[in-house]
Amino acid sequence: MAEPNLVHSIRIDDKRCVGCVACMKICPTKAIRLRNRKARINYERCIDCGGCLRVCPHGAVVPVTTLPSDLDRFKYKIAMPSPVIYSQFGANVMPNEILAVLKEIGFDHVYDQALACEMISIAIEEYLDENKSPRPIISSTCPVVVRLIQRLFPSLCKNILPLEPPREIAAKNLRAEIAREQNIAPEQIGIIDITACSAKMVSISHPETMERSHLDGAIPVRKIYNEAMMRLKRRNPVFLTQTHTSGIGIGWAIEGGEIRGLKHANSVAVSGVLNTIRILEDVDSGRLKNIEYLECLICPDGCVGGPLTVENRFIAKSIILRMIRQFGGKKRVNANMVKDLYHKNFFSFKWAVEPKPFPPLDKNRNAAIKKLELKEELIRKLPRTDCGVCGAPDCQTLADDIVRGEARLEDCIYISCHLLDDAKKTGENKK
Amino acid sequence: MRAEALLHQEYAIRGGDFVNAGESSCKIRNTLRQIGIDSEVVRRIAIAAYEAEMNVVMYAHHGKMEVNVYPEEIRLTIDDSGPGIADIDLAMQPGYSTASEEMREMGFGAGMGLPNIKKNADVFNLTSRVGKGTRLEINILLNGKNG
Repeated sequence: MAEPNLVHSIRIDDKRCVGCVACMKICPTKAIRLRNRKARINYERCIDCGGCLRVCPHGAVVPVTTLPSDLDRFKYKIAMPSPVIYSQFGANVMPNEILAVLKEIGFDHVYDQALACEMISIAIEEYLDENKSPRPIISSTCPVVVRLIQRLFPSLCKNILPLEPPREIAAKNLRAEIAREQNIAPEQIGIIDITACSAKMVSISHPETMERSHLDGAIPVRKIYNEAMMRLKRRNPVFLTQTHTSGIGIGWAIEGGEIRGLKHANSVAVSGVLNTIRILEDVDSGRLKNIEYLECLICPDGCVGGPLTVENRFIAKSIILRMIRQFGGKKRVNANMVKDLYHKNFFSFKWAVEPKPFPPLDKNRNAAIKKLELKEELIRKLPRTDCGVCGAPDCQTLADDIVRGEARLEDCIYISCHLLDDAKKTGENKK
Repeated sequence: MRAEALLHQEYAIRGGDFVNAGESSCKIRNTLRQIGIDSEVVRRIAIAAYEAEMNVVMYAHHGKMEVNVYPEEIRLTIDDSGPGIADIDLAMQPGYSTASEEMREMGFGAGMGLPNIKKNADVFNLTSRVGKGTRLEINILLNGKNG
């Protein structure tokens, strides 16, 4: 297994982990087991959704992000906040005030990702008009959705929109521009995503569709929140009510943001991990071919529901909805310029998203079939209470682990204490 | 006689049961993934199984779907007792459908089911007796050419 902290952005703090089942139960890919009363992440199965981070009652699941000291190596530092940031400081704080404060915190420049969101909105329309590839086209914005598709829906990799998401496009554009303007070497510029997302770090350190990300790091909204809030409070009330982005770009912070600006009306937006899995199952069965574009965001309500935010997501969503109305639906970026860039493949993936299905029960097909039959037999033996005491999230997964040689039937407390026989007897008596 | 299947599974399908429609094809997909069938092959089988399952749900009283995995291919057989198909050539035409208005309102009955199954299959065999039922057999090769 590769070094976990490099390929994933979530780790367990053993000192804080008490060995409860919270994270293991919530994990959508069943990547967590309890071993010696500590949560263990199977990094081959983890898709960095941050579900564990969200539910851990003990703060034992830690996001791996960029440290302030990591920024020292850059001569010129740029903060590139996700539009989520505009939802975090209350309804009366305007985007440009937040951008100004971010710069004061210690960056040389601040760039609004919302602008790149508008650009991608236009690029998506171009792509949908020009390509007749299998529908629906699935958004590439959410790094967890991309990883989920690689793992659970490998045959849908070819449905993924082959264009880089706004954050990458913004950074790509900006690095060249700043290097020219400020006359600095591109590698001396540090572009940092200010993010709500637990998976951003891994999408930067291990991008799926290019050699090297255009971003240099990610800092959680939570980390800059206190200082930004203090500064916003102290600031003279200059009302910077103007923005250089429209409601279209800002709207990308919530579910439906991508399709709001699309002229292709037959598009659908989904958020939340279970909802995403359900709709992808439908796509995988060929049921939704009449849909043009499918936006899936793993966090509930979209990026405002990200695990690294501070504001309650319903409040945050309402603030974004208000800004969408306030700043209007007229895109501010030059559509012809975007189309030109699109045709020069400025937005395109270097290579397509590669399927990475979970390993079968055995590499040898006959052995895999034997194990599958054994697994079904085991499932019938197990109590199906899904209690988690064995260290696996549910009985089915324990059966899977047993046939893979990673657990034993006696790990089940019902089996080892013969409780099941007793329970069955009582059940029969009741009848 | 062909060799014995490495894996054999059967699923019952109830006509008119739109609520649970799609469950059998979902289970088949999960099974095939666990035994390491190529994801593109799994996708083709899942689509064919889903369309076939929907045909039983929409038109027949009840049916049975069988999956057999052989070393070189996967064979899917769907038998139903239902009205049968009077003119198979006509039924195979893209866009042809006998779905009721209600079914169309539910988004079914676009007349693409059978053509879509055929498109995903390497071998496609449809036989039917009016008033008795329909049997659909398809094979998908494991080193599929049809990908």
